[in-house]
Amino acid sequence: MSSDRALIEVRNLTVDYVGDHSIARAVNGIDFDIREGEAFGLAGESGCGKSTVAFALARLTRLPGLVSGGQVRLNGEDVLKFDKARLKAYRWNEVSFVFQSAMNALNPVISVSEQIMDVIETHEPELGQEGARARAVELFELVGIPPKRLDDFPHQFSGGMRQRICIAIALALKPKLIIMDEPTTALDVVVQRDIIEQIVDLKKRLGFSVLFITHDLGLMIEFCDRIGVMYSGELVEVAPAEAILTAPQHPYTRALGNSFPPLTGPRVRMEGIAGTPPDLRALPQGCRFAPRCPLAMDICRVDAPELRFYPEHRSQAACHLLN
Amino acid sequence: MIYILRRMAFYVAAFFVAVTLNFFIPRIMPGDPSARIIASFQGRLSDAQVEAIRASYGTTGSLWEQYLGYVGQVLRMDFGISTVQFPEPTSSLLFYGATWTLVLVGISITLAFLIGTMMGIHAAWNRGGFFDSVFTPLNVMLNAFTPAVVALLLFYAFSLQLQWFPLGRAHAMGLAPSFDLHFIGNVLYHATLPVLSILIVSFGGWHLGMRNVMINLLNEDFVILARAKGLSDRRVRYRYVARNAIMPQITSLALSVGFLLGGALVTEQVFNYPGLGKFTVTAIESRDYSFIQAQLLLLTMSVLVANLLSDIANVILDPRLRKG
Amino acid sequence: MTDVTQIRSASLLDRLDEAAIASAAPSQAELMTELRIKGRPGWTSRLPPSLAAFVTNPKGMAGVTILLAMILFSIFAPMFSEYNPHRRAGKPHVMPGYEHVLGTTRMGKDVFTQVAYGGRISLAVGFGAGIAAAVIGLGIGIAAGYFGGKIDDILTFFVNVVLVLPGLPLIIVIASLVDSAGPLVIGIVLALTGWGWPARTIRTQTLSLRTREFVLSAELMGEKKWRIIFKEIFPNMLSFFMGGLVLGTISAILAEAALSFIGLGDPNAVTWGTMLYWAQNNMALQVGAWWEIWPPAIAIMLTGAALVLVNFAVDEITNPQLKASRKIGRIKRFLKRRGRSADVF
Repeated sequence: MSSDRALIEVRNLTVDYVGDHSIARAVNGIDFDIREGEAFGLAGESGCGKSTVAFALARLTRLPGLVSGGQVRLNGEDVLKFDKARLKAYRWNEVSFVFQSAMNALNPVISVSEQIMDVIETHEPELGQEGARARAVELFELVGIPPKRLDDFPHQFSGGMRQRICIAIALALKPKLIIMDEPTTALDVVVQRDIIEQIVDLKKRLGFSVLFITHDLGLMIEFCDRIGVMYSGELVEVAPAEAILTAPQHPYTRALGNSFPPLTGPRVRMEGIAGTPPDLRALPQGCRFAPRCPLAMDICRVDAPELRFYPEHRSQAACHLLN
Repeated sequence: MIYILRRMAFYVAAFFVAVTLNFFIPRIMPGDPSARIIASFQGRLSDAQVEAIRASYGTTGSLWEQYLGYVGQVLRMDFGISTVQFPEPTSSLLFYGATWTLVLVGISITLAFLIGTMMGIHAAWNRGGFFDSVFTPLNVMLNAFTPAVVALLLFYAFSLQLQWFPLGRAHAMGLAPSFDLHFIGNVLYHATLPVLSILIVSFGGWHLGMRNVMINLLNEDFVILARAKGLSDRRVRYRYVARNAIMPQITSLALSVGFLLGGALVTEQVFNYPGLGKFTVTAIESRDYSFIQAQLLLLTMSVLVANLLSDIANVILDPRLRKG
Repeated sequence: MTDVTQIRSASLLDRLDEAAIASAAPSQAELMTELRIKGRPGWTSRLPPSLAAFVTNPKGMAGVTILLAMILFSIFAPMFSEYNPHRRAGKPHVMPGYEHVLGTTRMGKDVFTQVAYGGRISLAVGFGAGIAAAVIGLGIGIAAGYFGGKIDDILTFFVNVVLVLPGLPLIIVIASLVDSAGPLVIGIVLALTGWGWPARTIRTQTLSLRTREFVLSAELMGEKKWRIIFKEIFPNMLSFFMGGLVLGTISAILAEAALSFIGLGDPNAVTWGTMLYWAQNNMALQVGAWWEIWPPAIAIMLTGAALVLVNFAVDEITNPQLKASRKIGRIKRFLKRRGRSADVF
C-alpha cells in the first residue's frame, strides 16, 4: 500500500510555547517522514507534543505557540516558509484535518452544507455553487449519510454522524495527507469501530496518507503502518507497527504498551508509568525519560541519546541501552 | 417557539414584579404617601390637584383591593393626572417624552453598538497589535467617564462657544412634525450633540465585549478548522467568528437598554432635550410622584420589549434554539 | 556494531543537511533573549500564583496605585488642606493659585478641599455598593449553581428580574420618596440593584465547577455542603468576584455622580457628584470658572480609569488569552527575520 517515497519530511522541528516568564519547549527538534499512502501514527501521553506536531505540520500553530526552528518539507519545499498565496493552496488541497470532537469542529450555527461547500468554492471556484453542491452530495454518499440531510445543522446529527461529516469535509479536495487528531476518542466503542473501518476503506480507495494521533496504542497498532512514540517533546522510537507491538525497543514504548489494554486477546493488568513527565520549561540533562525509567544507567542522566536506526530491530530508537 | 413563549412568560412575570415594587415602595415608607406629597407642596396646590393626588393613591379599601386597583390602572395605561402639567394626564406627557428619548437612545445605541462591535472585531483579529494595545483600554476607560461632564463639555464647546449646534429642544420652534426631509434633518441636527455624548461613553463596552468573546472563540475547533480549510481571512473572521460572537452581544445589548435609558436623563438635562429624562427631572423637582412611578414602568416595559426582540434575534441566528 | 556506526554517520549526514542547519532552532535561553522574555521576579515566588500574576501585571498595578493614592488622599484630606469643605474659604470663583490650589467655587469654598473630602463619600458609596453587590451576587450565584433544582429556578428568576429592572429609574423612584437621598440611601439602593451580573457569571461558573472531579470526590468523601462551598468552590470564584466588585464599583460611582448631578442627592453633602451639580447650577463653564468643574470630573474619571485597569488585569489572569501582549508582535518579528510568513493567530 505505502510506497517508500516520502510525502512529508519533518526535520529538526522545534515548537515552543511562549509564556510571560518562561518558554516551554513542547517539541524538541524531531525528525520523521510520512510516506505516500502510509498511515503514520504518533503515540504518547497527553502533553507529549503529538498534537503540537500535527498543528505545526498543517501550519496551524496558534499563539502563544511558535515554531522556532526546523522544516516541514513537501516535495522539497519548506511548508513553514510558504507565503499567503502558497499557504492557501497548501491548506486542504494537500493537507486536511479531522479533529477529536466533531461537535466542536463544526460551527453550530451554520448549516453543514455551507461548511462543506465553502471549502470547495474557495479552492475550486470554477465549479460554481452547483458543482460544489454536487461534490458535497457525493461526499455525503461516500461516508454513508443521506444527502437529503445536507442542509441540516450540526446539532441535528448524532456524534458518529458528525464525525463522518468531518471526514467528508476532510476528503472534499482529495488531499494527499489527512491529519487525524484523536478522531474517535469522543465516540463510544461501537461507533469508534465503524469510523475506523470506514477510514481504512476510504484510504484503500483514495490512497491518501494519514497522520494518526491517539493515546490508544492498541487502536494505533491496528490502523497504522508505522508508529512514532513521543515523550516530552521528542521521538523516542519510530518503527513499523508490528515491531512496536512485538518488539518495542525503548523502555518508554514498552511501558506505554503495558498501560493500555489490547483490543484483542485477554485483558492484561494495566500498569501505569510511575512519575510524571519533566517540566518543559526546565528540562533535565540527559535522557528525559531517565527519571521514570526502571532501567536507567548512569550515562542516561548525563548524555541525551540520539534517535538511531537499528536494522536488526527494524526500528529507530533513542536509548543508551541499545548501544 | 416554546423558547420564545417561555421567555415571554418570564417578561410578564418580571413586569408584575416592577408593578408590585411600584405599589409597595411608597407604602412601606413611613406615613401616608398622598399626604406626604401634598404636604411637600406647602399649600401651593388647588383642591382639584389635591383630589387628583388622593385618587391616584387609592388609599381606600384593604391593601389587597388597593393593589388590584393599581394593577387595573396600569393595565389600562392610566397613570393618573400630572400635578405639574395639571390637568394633563400623566400618560400623554410620558409618551411625548418617551418618543424623543427613543430617538436619542435609539440612534446612539445603534451607532455605539456598530462602532464598538466593528472595533472589537478588529482588535480581536489583530490581538496585541497597535490598535488593540492602545485603543482597547482607552475606549473602555471612556466608558467610565462621567456622562455629565462629557455632555457639559460638548454643550459648552459646540453650542455655547462655537454655536454650531442649538441650545436645546428636539427640533426648531414652530416646525410642525412631519415625515419630510426638512423636519427629519432638523431633528437630527438637534440630536447630534446629545447622541455624540452618549456615544462617547458607551461604545467602549461593545468594543471590549466583542473583542473578548471573539478571542475566546478563536480557540474553538471550528475556527481552527475554518482556517485549516484555507478559507479567506474575511470569511473566517465574519462567518465563523463574528457570526457566533454577535449572539451574546445582542443579549447584552438588550440588557443595557435600561441602563442607557436611565443615563439619557443626564444628557437630556444638559442639552435641554424634551425627553423622558428631562420631564423626570422636572417631576422630581415638583414631586410629581405619579409621573416618576410611571416612568419606571415605561422604562421596564421598554427593557422587556428589547429583551424579547433580542430573544427573537437569537432564535433567528441560532438554529439550536429553534428545536425546543 | 559496525552497522550502527554506519547508520550513525548516515544520520549525521542527514543532520548536516544545509537547509536544516539554516533553520536550526535557538535554545530556550536564546529564545528568551530574542523575544525579550524575563523570568518571574524572585520575590513573587512566595505569593499564591494568582496574586503573583496580579502584581506582575502592569495594568493591574497601575490601577491599584492610582486607587490607593485616591483613597489615601481622601482619608488624609485634613493633612492636605486647612479649609473646611462646607465653609466659605475665600472670595467666590478665585482662580487656582497659591492660596487656593484649585481655586474656589462660586460660594467661595475651596475646590481642592472639596475634592479631597468629597472623595471620602464618593469612594465609600462606590466601594460600599460595589462590594455589597458582589457579595450578594456571590452568595446567590453559588447557591443557585451548587444546589440546583428548585432553589436554582427560584434564584435564577430573581437574578433575571434584577437584570431587566432598570436600576437608575428605580433609584429615582425611591430617592424621590425620601426627602433627599443621602449617600447612604443611594449606596444601599445601588447595592440592591447591582448584584444581577455577578450572580449570573458566578452561577454559570459554579455549574461547570460542580461536575469537576475535586468537587465530586469531596462529595463522595461525605464533606459537608457548606465546607465544599467554602473550601472547593469559593476560591475558584475569587476572580469573578473581583470582576463583579470592580464593575459594580465603577457603575456605583457613576450612578452616584449622575443622581447627584440631576439634583436627587443631598445638596449639602460634599461628593464629587454634588460638586458637579453645583458647578452646573452655578454656570461654572459659562462664566469661565473651569476649575470648579474639572477637578471633580477628573477625580471621577481617574477612579473609573483605575478600576478599568484593575478589571483588565483580573480578566487577563482569569483568561490569559485576552492579554494584548507585546510578545505577539515579537513572535511575528521572530518569524519574519527567518523568512517565514507570520500567519499566526
